[in-house]
Amino acid sequence: MNYWGYWIRQFPVQFDLDSKLQTVIKNFGTLVQQKGNSTFKEPIDLSKVPSYDWMRSISVRNPSMRHNRKVSLVFNHLEPEELADHLTYLEYRAFRRINFTDFKNYAMTASLKDNPKLERSIALFNGLSQWIQCMVLSKTTPQQRADVIVKFCNVAKKLRILQNFNSLMAVVGGLTHSALARLYKTTACIPSETQKMLMEHTELLSSNNNFINYRKVFHQCTGFKIPILGVHLKDLILLHTALPDRVEGNLVNFRKMAQLSLILRELTKLQTHDSIPGVFANMDLINTLRLSLDMHYTEDEIYELSLAREPRNSLSSPSTPTKPVVFAEWVAGMRPPDPQTINKHVHDMVEAVFKNYDNDRDGFISHAEFEAIAGNFPFIDSFCVLDADQDGMISKAEMKTYFIRANCHALRNSFKHDFHEITYFKPTFCIHCTGLLWGLIKQGWKCKDCGINAHKHCKDLVVMECRSKASVACNRRLDSLSSNGSGSQDLSYSTKRKMSQRQKRTRVHRGTQTEECYFVDPLPRELGEEGDFRELHERLLKAEEVSKLRDENERLKLMLKSCEEQIVVLQSQIGSIQKNTISFILEQMEALHIQRDTKV
Amino acid sequence: MREYKVVVLGSGGVGKSALTVKFVSGTFMEKYDPTIEDFYRKEIEVDNAPSVLEILDTAGTEQFASMRDLYIKNGQGFLIVYSITSLQTFQDIRSMKEQIIRVKGVEKIPMILVGNKCDLEHQREVPYQEGAALAQGWSCPFMETSAKSTNNVNEVFIEIVREMNTSPVKENKGCCTLL
Ligand SMILES: Nc1nc2c(ncn2[C@@H]2O[C@H](COP(=O)(O)OP(=O)(O)O)[C@@H](O)[C@H]2O)c(=O)[nH]1
Ligand SMILES: [Mg+2]
Ligand SMILES: [Zn+2]
Ligand SMILES: [Zn+2]
Repeated sequence: MNYWGYWIRQFPVQFDLDSKLQTVIKNFGTLVQQKGNSTFKEPIDLSKVPSYDWMRSISVRNPSMRHNRKVSLVFNHLEPEELADHLTYLEYRAFRRINFTDFKNYAMTASLKDNPKLERSIALFNGLSQWIQCMVLSKTTPQQRADVIVKFCNVAKKLRILQNFNSLMAVVGGLTHSALARLYKTTACIPSETQKMLMEHTELLSSNNNFINYRKVFHQCTGFKIPILGVHLKDLILLHTALPDRVEGNLVNFRKMAQLSLILRELTKLQTHDSIPGVFANMDLINTLRLSLDMHYTEDEIYELSLAREPRNSLSSPSTPTKPVVFAEWVAGMRPPDPQTINKHVHDMVEAVFKNYDNDRDGFISHAEFEAIAGNFPFIDSFCVLDADQDGMISKAEMKTYFIRANCHALRNSFKHDFHEITYFKPTFCIHCTGLLWGLIKQGWKCKDCGINAHKHCKDLVVMECRSKASVACNRRLDSLSSNGSGSQDLSYSTKRKMSQRQKRTRVHRGTQTEECYFVDPLPRELGEEGDFRELHERLLKAEEVSKLRDENERLKLMLKSCEEQIVVLQSQIGSIQKNTISFILEQMEALHIQRDTKV
Repeated sequence: MREYKVVVLGSGGVGKSALTVKFVSGTFMEKYDPTIEDFYRKEIEVDNAPSVLEILDTAGTEQFASMRDLYIKNGQGFLIVYSITSLQTFQDIRSMKEQIIRVKGVEKIPMILVGNKCDLEHQREVPYQEGAALAQGWSCPFMETSAKSTNNVNEVFIEIVREMNTSPVKENKGCCTLL
């Protein structure tokens, strides 16, 4: 009896959460009472076990942390300390949910299958590292990139003070990742104190001598602390592999069990804090950050971007691999977050952004407000892409649709263009270096999907997303999500009724932003054609001599004809669901015809 | 005595820990504690030179993508392990050399391609020639091992020491962590 009591006291979580175990214990208790042994029932009374209900539910929040202070959601205005506090809040919330059984299952199976809480925590870890890399690489000059690195080094400093070693590992891992470490020009702009600090942190987390530095420091730390999960999971797995379950005479290996439970107990003991000392989380910032960390890129995409930012020095570097390397699958068990999770995170984040930035509470945010918040999301599209109905304001629905789209799993491939060699019959320029594509034939490479042109040697450096691919994927995703009310259908019509003042702003805005406005349509094939339309349109406006115009006209007619042919094909493909897009194209064509006719 | 840092890389389940444990463990296995500093240290004599191997087993941390670069940065020699019973694990490591080059910034890196679980011949999915061909492409030695039957286990570790002796990795020290 006291034996049961011992286990219940040691592992209250299991006894509270495992309903089978509860039933067994209850039956056992009843049995004992029936035998007239009521005095013994005390140690196995489960009603005395504290409730661990919060562990069951993934989204329980600690009300004491809802405490709202005014804080900026914009990366550029965020203090590193604030950022570290909020990262720690997210980290602890993810860490705290992982229970004894989750740890144990991972140790036994070494797999994340059916282990969503641990998987979520690891996704957060990797997301943080990637976010840092992308935030750095989204900046165009070495100095700007160095500034972001310095900021994250200061985040690391505060994480160390908070004793959040897991986030510290993610941040240092991100900052020292090969995609950033190779940026010589950027490194030259980092002050030496910062470099020194980063080196000290790297030393602290080094795997040398079985993480001896980290282990020492971690054991000296008292109070609230978050361990480097990877290190302790590794210990568990090693122990499980190294020691046999049974020893001579088929006896249970008690030493092994004791060692395993020691590590497990140490981990679960760290989850008992109800709050993080000195950290007051702003839920709006939490929601914004959480979505920033959901963004899913492949290592290759990030590395390619790094190469584009600071191309290889041909002298000291190994030969350029000719075909892109794919090694993301090494992280085989990791999937990007599922659509439901993304959907929820997007919803929370957009609500948070509107709460803070839609100052007149009309459900729309302006261009300027958007630009500020966009800084948190590297490689976010321009305002015009989000403003799907081009009214100069972004509605909640537009923003949600955009982020769900941007999070599409298939977006991973959207940076890869499908280039093929081509002969141009008119002077064409490279999208990357803007230089002329030289020669009589086969002057350059054109992307089959989005139509951009580049030199042979430039094509691998193009950092522009392949628009059509992103939209193909997103369209698919949106279809599956449209039941949530944020699908593509309601976009174009949602914001028909607008105040006159807003329309005034719209017109001004449109005047300056015509370039980007052509990417708004979420349909795959049309994009290329719209691009052509724009080109034609502009040429028409610019052409001054009649003769030129006539030549142009001839070509135009040919191209229009091919466009029309393609549209017929398209119509048959797309069918009735996407009628509105077709009509948009037809409208555009009509407009072109009219313009051409009036010009000629 | 020279010290060598060896990192064991590969997908989950290929037998990284099994190989490591088999190599480091003597007869007193029940005394091992993976949380202590010298759990993964072992002295061996290679070509009459006593050497200390410090082995970093990455098992259990495969999912933590950003820890990988830190591991590679710390390592001098690499065992890249797949299981001959799983084609997937062989595909997984195909790009590994490229990644190590990215981190190290040099082409010549001591490494060995290891096809583990060769005791399970009847479940073989990766022909010996495939492994040998990849190793040739990487210009590194290739070995098939079995942690279960202790086939080639010591040999793999001896071979990686030899590799490190002939082509030592330039030490990335100091401020170069950022370079
Ligand atoms: N038959 C056989 N099984 C092995 C061998 N090496 C490892 N295993 C088994 O494969 C599973 C995974 O091994 P483990 O060392 O944990 O893989 P790790 O995740 O790469 O560290 C375990 O069940 C081992 O017993 C081997 O050489 N032969
Ligand atoms: Mg709008
Ligand atoms: Zn070019
Ligand atoms: Zn393209």
